[in-house]
Amino acid sequence: MELTINGKKIQAEKGQTILQAALANGIKIPNLCYDKRLVPYGGCRLCIVEIEGSRKLEASCATLAKEGMNVFTDTPKVRKVRQRVIELMLVHHPLDCPTCDKAGECTLQDLAFEYGQPRARFVRERKDKPADSRDPLIEINANRCILCGKCVRICAEHQGRGALGLIGRGFPTVVQPAFGEVLNCDYCGQCIDVCPTGSLLNKSFKYKARPWMMEEADTICPFCGCGCTLTVGKFEGKIARSRGHEDTGVSKGSICSRGRFGVDYIYGGERIEQPMVRINGKLAPSSWEEALKYAGDCLKYVVTVHGPSAVGAIGSPRCSNEDNYVLQKFMRQIGSDNIDSSAALGYGIAEKVWQRAFGLSGHKVSLSSPLGKEAVLVIESDLNVTHPSFGINLFKATREGTKLIVADSRETRLAKQASEWVKVRQGTGTALLNGISKVLLDKGLYDTAHAPKIKGFEELKKSLEEYTPEKAGQITGTGAEAIIAIAESLASAKSRMLALSIGPSENAKGGDAVMAAANLINLLGESPDALQIPAEYANTFGLYKVGVRPDAGPMYQPVDQAGQGLPEMLYGRANGAGRPPVKALYVMGADPAATFPDSQNLVKRLSELDLLIVQDVVLTETAKLAHVVFPAAGWAEKDGTFTNAEGVSQGLCRIVDPPGASLPDWKILADLSEAMGSGMGIKGRRDITDELLRMEPGTSEPATPEFHAVRYNPGEEPDEAYPLSLVVRDVLQHAGSISTRSRSLGLVSPEATIEISRRDAGKLGIAGNERVRVVSRRGKASLTAIVSDEVPDGAVYVPAHFPESGVNSLRHLSGNGEGPLDAVRIEKS
Amino acid sequence: MTRSRLTVMMCAGTGCIASGSMKVKHALEEEIKKQGLEDEVKVVMSGCNGYCSEGPIVEVYPGGVFYQKVTVEEVPKLVEEHFLKGRPYEKLMFKEPLKKAPLPEIMSIPFFKHQVVRVLRNRGLIDPEKIEDYIARDGYQALAKALTSMTPGDVVKVVSDSGLRGRGGAGFPTGKKWELGLKIKSDLKFVVCNGDEGDPGAFMDRSVMEADPHAVIEGMIICGVATESHKGYIYVRAEYPLAVKRLQIAIDQCYEAGLLGENILGTGFAFDLDIYQGAGAFVCGEATALMRSIEGKRGMPRPKLWRSAEKGLWDKPTVLNNVETFANIPQIILNGAEWYKSYGTEKSTGTKVFALTGATRDSGLVEVPMDTSLRKIIYDIGGGIKKKGRAFKAVQLGGPSGGCIPEQFLDIPVTYEDIKKAGAIVGSGGMVVMDDTNCMVSTAKFFLEFTTDESCGKCVPCRVGTKLMHDMLADICEARGQEGDIEVLQDLSYDIIDSSLCGLGQSAPNPVLSTIQYFRDEYEKHIRDKWCPTGVCRDLTTFVIDRNFCKGCGACMRACPSKAITGEKKQPHLIHQDACVHCRTCWDTCKFNAIRILPASARTASEEEMERLIVKLFGSRPETAPEPTAAKAAASTAKAPEVTK
Repeated sequence: MELTINGKKIQAEKGQTILQAALANGIKIPNLCYDKRLVPYGGCRLCIVEIEGSRKLEASCATLAKEGMNVFTDTPKVRKVRQRVIELMLVHHPLDCPTCDKAGECTLQDLAFEYGQPRARFVRERKDKPADSRDPLIEINANRCILCGKCVRICAEHQGRGALGLIGRGFPTVVQPAFGEVLNCDYCGQCIDVCPTGSLLNKSFKYKARPWMMEEADTICPFCGCGCTLTVGKFEGKIARSRGHEDTGVSKGSICSRGRFGVDYIYGGERIEQPMVRINGKLAPSSWEEALKYAGDCLKYVVTVHGPSAVGAIGSPRCSNEDNYVLQKFMRQIGSDNIDSSAALGYGIAEKVWQRAFGLSGHKVSLSSPLGKEAVLVIESDLNVTHPSFGINLFKATREGTKLIVADSRETRLAKQASEWVKVRQGTGTALLNGISKVLLDKGLYDTAHAPKIKGFEELKKSLEEYTPEKAGQITGTGAEAIIAIAESLASAKSRMLALSIGPSENAKGGDAVMAAANLINLLGESPDALQIPAEYANTFGLYKVGVRPDAGPMYQPVDQAGQGLPEMLYGRANGAGRPPVKALYVMGADPAATFPDSQNLVKRLSELDLLIVQDVVLTETAKLAHVVFPAAGWAEKDGTFTNAEGVSQGLCRIVDPPGASLPDWKILADLSEAMGSGMGIKGRRDITDELLRMEPGTSEPATPEFHAVRYNPGEEPDEAYPLSLVVRDVLQHAGSISTRSRSLGLVSPEATIEISRRDAGKLGIAGNERVRVVSRRGKASLTAIVSDEVPDGAVYVPAHFPESGVNSLRHLSGNGEGPLDAVRIEKS
Repeated sequence: MTRSRLTVMMCAGTGCIASGSMKVKHALEEEIKKQGLEDEVKVVMSGCNGYCSEGPIVEVYPGGVFYQKVTVEEVPKLVEEHFLKGRPYEKLMFKEPLKKAPLPEIMSIPFFKHQVVRVLRNRGLIDPEKIEDYIARDGYQALAKALTSMTPGDVVKVVSDSGLRGRGGAGFPTGKKWELGLKIKSDLKFVVCNGDEGDPGAFMDRSVMEADPHAVIEGMIICGVATESHKGYIYVRAEYPLAVKRLQIAIDQCYEAGLLGENILGTGFAFDLDIYQGAGAFVCGEATALMRSIEGKRGMPRPKLWRSAEKGLWDKPTVLNNVETFANIPQIILNGAEWYKSYGTEKSTGTKVFALTGATRDSGLVEVPMDTSLRKIIYDIGGGIKKKGRAFKAVQLGGPSGGCIPEQFLDIPVTYEDIKKAGAIVGSGGMVVMDDTNCMVSTAKFFLEFTTDESCGKCVPCRVGTKLMHDMLADICEARGQEGDIEVLQDLSYDIIDSSLCGLGQSAPNPVLSTIQYFRDEYEKHIRDKWCPTGVCRDLTTFVIDRNFCKGCGACMRACPSKAITGEKKQPHLIHQDACVHCRTCWDTCKFNAIRILPASARTASEEEMERLIVKLFGSRPETAPEPTAAKAAASTAKAPEVTK
């Protein structure tokens, strides 16, 4: 439809408000309570406009655009009312702009500047209550609040959390957590971004820098695979803060606690500023020239003596596409395909299943995929925690009518807010999915026209025979009815989706669960997109795509004979006939000794290597074992690209200078190659970009679905000696282990905890909040026990983020068919 | 059921219960038993009778004998005289104001004589807790008619033709609302009854819900029939426990009688009804806030991006009407649109219930045709100003959203249009009469205090604007008024009206605007002279005794709470300014009009200065010579006042 605003004819869609239509057409109408993501509120009254033929002034945020409407947004009448409304807002507003962090980017201040009157008609006492700064990260200053309610609404309507409320009525109304208690929330901090005044403040930024003295730049979040855009502010050479910017990036400006508060991780831990070489058993500072020559000579020696396949490398999802690409190029130039990364414990597993089940490569998700689906099944995954910007759309979809079924052992927030929570026994996702498939087959609810023609159908049918709803219901603990009900919900839905996460810091499901999910998708006749498994970390997708994997080079081009992957290189798994074990390992931005499962044994394995070269930002546990350590530039210290779980490649920017002599990872590798006398033809980043662009695959291949029967493997069952199942799960404030270096996040999630049910805690005499020793067949860890009503009996939940906690020493390598869970016992210390 | 000789209708409305009707009922039953009359005389609890100022009220049928202010002590005599001996008991009867002759029959009492009862037609006649009583008075006949012989369109048409307008305040045509409700198709529609009556001094809806709950329910079911909706909510504030109780009893009875639930009256029509108790926020009387409240959310109005008829409760099409509106429906359906229109004017048809309170002799619920004049309501029905020697000053209509109408408009009819023209609104029907002891600035402040407190806080103009207005009025009343305040108040009022989100804010300045319009001089005296002529605003007063009038009766001296008055018997008394707390008790007490209220500045004045001021402000004699009754009594003893100087 067409309407006229200020004499300009513009187009609007049906259902759009005047304000939306105006903003979409670049016409500014001042407002304080409007946000694209929220339901129109109509509270601030600043967006009022004059409409021809209307007696009253109308709030443009709350008036639908109509065909032929003639709207004026800036008449003297309108300006006067705006002026008056702003005057009212300012009567009791404190005059503390000089010490307010928001000053300079405060909407209220800007509007007062534009509409304010030089002289106040009303002189009243200004609000002067102490700010609520009890929370470690977010300060609430009610004095400055104009009660636009954006914080309350973004928290409830968008974040799905509802941690803030409008308390009281009329003039004394304040924004507060329920009952005036300390904030208890996700710490996404969206409330800070949407606040048009200085009422909600990022405490870690408080009094740090005036907004106009900062340089701001957009970059990509270093944490999970969502790849949200962060607007990072720099002051005096240091990152002062990070925030989301409306409409920016894949998440449209919504960011989570990690992206907002966690970026100070780059200042956590002591940075390596010099190359180091092990001399007489001790790491000693060295020059680039010396260290490169030494490393190059050692590498050449190993290649000469043991052959190129004795050299292995580990890449990193924390490093850019450029870094990872150059690492694999370096290795393949040496002649070795022994290259892998932590993705082998997560996304790599999903990607391999994806290839087998659908004949496709490059499994990607869409963050908005849950929206508009009729039914969504989430299998043992806390997607809201692992991928907040993806999870948020699960909440949103549910609010909009999607039937969200969460099958999980734990009553996560996703489970609480789902349409249905199906409580399953931990690690039984495969059995559940097989059970659902079996019901579909038995009841003829599958795609009877196409599924039988898919290769492996008969084998699948046969293999599913044992997964009757009764049997599957028994394994999962849900009972047969629940499984039948899920099957029927999925079958009857017009659009559906299965979602799960898989990552190195989780252990409840492996490749078999992914395959069982893929089988279900193929049975339903759904497109492969109905399976959504987001890559776990910032550049997991990217590093896989640029060839940091033993079986394929860049752009999914398979190699003739796959090299050794993580299980072979690090865990001594069978590595093919006659291939020598890896003698030299090149580790870029990874810390297997602390962050990979079975870490205690890994330390042993790494210590036995002839040569260990590590490049990283801090002296990690792995680096401490190295023969050569190169100082690398970290996130925000170099340009490059990350590819997110959607497969979108996004630019990173160098915001601050790398410390000391550290260099970008790719540069170190290029220099090393030069030092070894070979060289890779890479002079600058541009060369890498060009190479990558040249390789970018063209059209995608069509799907060729295939069924592959999978069986439920219970793994290490609890017994008398180790009576509890250990479930490793992420926590919202962390992604991988790097975020644990953040001081801010440490304030709200400082250490690894072990969550235990009330009954199990009672049996062990644990009252909660006490140190306990957790022992598995592989190792032990000392953790703080928390009694939780969210977790089931018989299982304990720990996060793997904290390297020093020792959690990884408890775990075994799982994921590729091995049973997922570990058995542990808890000892009171 | 045996037939009784006499039926005693004991009013059990909230007003009468508050004045002790349950105790009286108990005493009546005991006494009747004692006299062995229990088979002959039946005591029935009725709903609110309306004449609340005279409670507890008892009516005896047949005959319609009306007793007022019945006490436990009088019960034995009443039973003996009337029930046993058949002689109506005069002592408890209403006395004709001038001749003091007892009027036994209810319909001869002025308060009732001038009323036309439609919504209140069952008052005092039925036991609201008995569905049989309601049915005996043609109850649920209209529903049967609507269900069996009318289409939804027919029902809507009758309601439209009747000209009935929303009785909640805004006066939106009910038929139009229903028409839209019928037109919009949805799998789920709601009918909501707004019983969140919250205006200070208004209790029409409470009484209707208490006295005739079935009329409201029947109206709602008919609305369900007309709009093809099958689910209703009655939103009642939790402060109305009796209304909630009686509505619940009525709903339960309806389910039992097949008037609610599936297959109503065997027609296949289904309708369910629930009560939702509000937590007492005034703003929840606003339709969209009320719906949010039922949804379990914070009761805040939402912008009218969608009409409630399209997206109301839980975003489903919703028809929301006020209690009185629904209570009108059954009679309209039964008697037709023409019958309804036979009263009122073209645009304001039918009758309207008002809650008459304040300075009138009689107060209570009054139902009158909409073309009745204010004067008739206040003087003929209400009996005029109660306090002797006091004059009518203004009538406040429409509660906090309304305005104060002065004497010159008393002859206008109470139609939506005329009242609005005079600067107030019909509103839900609150009618507070004020005599000349009322300060209009304080009155405006009172209403602004109410709206400031009840503003939900969502939109800026209402939240901050009403607070500022209230604070300015408080300043004026506390001697901090400044030249120009009136203009700022007016200016601010128009800003708030122009830019507020909902009706609460858009109408909150009305009490201020109307008092400025009609009583501007009073504002000016407050601001310029620091003088509250009515003596209400303590900081703007000096109370002095006019020696020319003081008879030295000592009444003021005895009444003074701070012992600020001294004087010899029969000698003019003196108020000691340093001890005076400006409570106005002396002024209220004095029968000789001898207390003068001067500006605050007179407190430190010498006696001569005060004299001069009195002469300047009042002349040497009072401007109106009151005829206090006590004056005559005192006249014999009082000589012409002498100035002892």
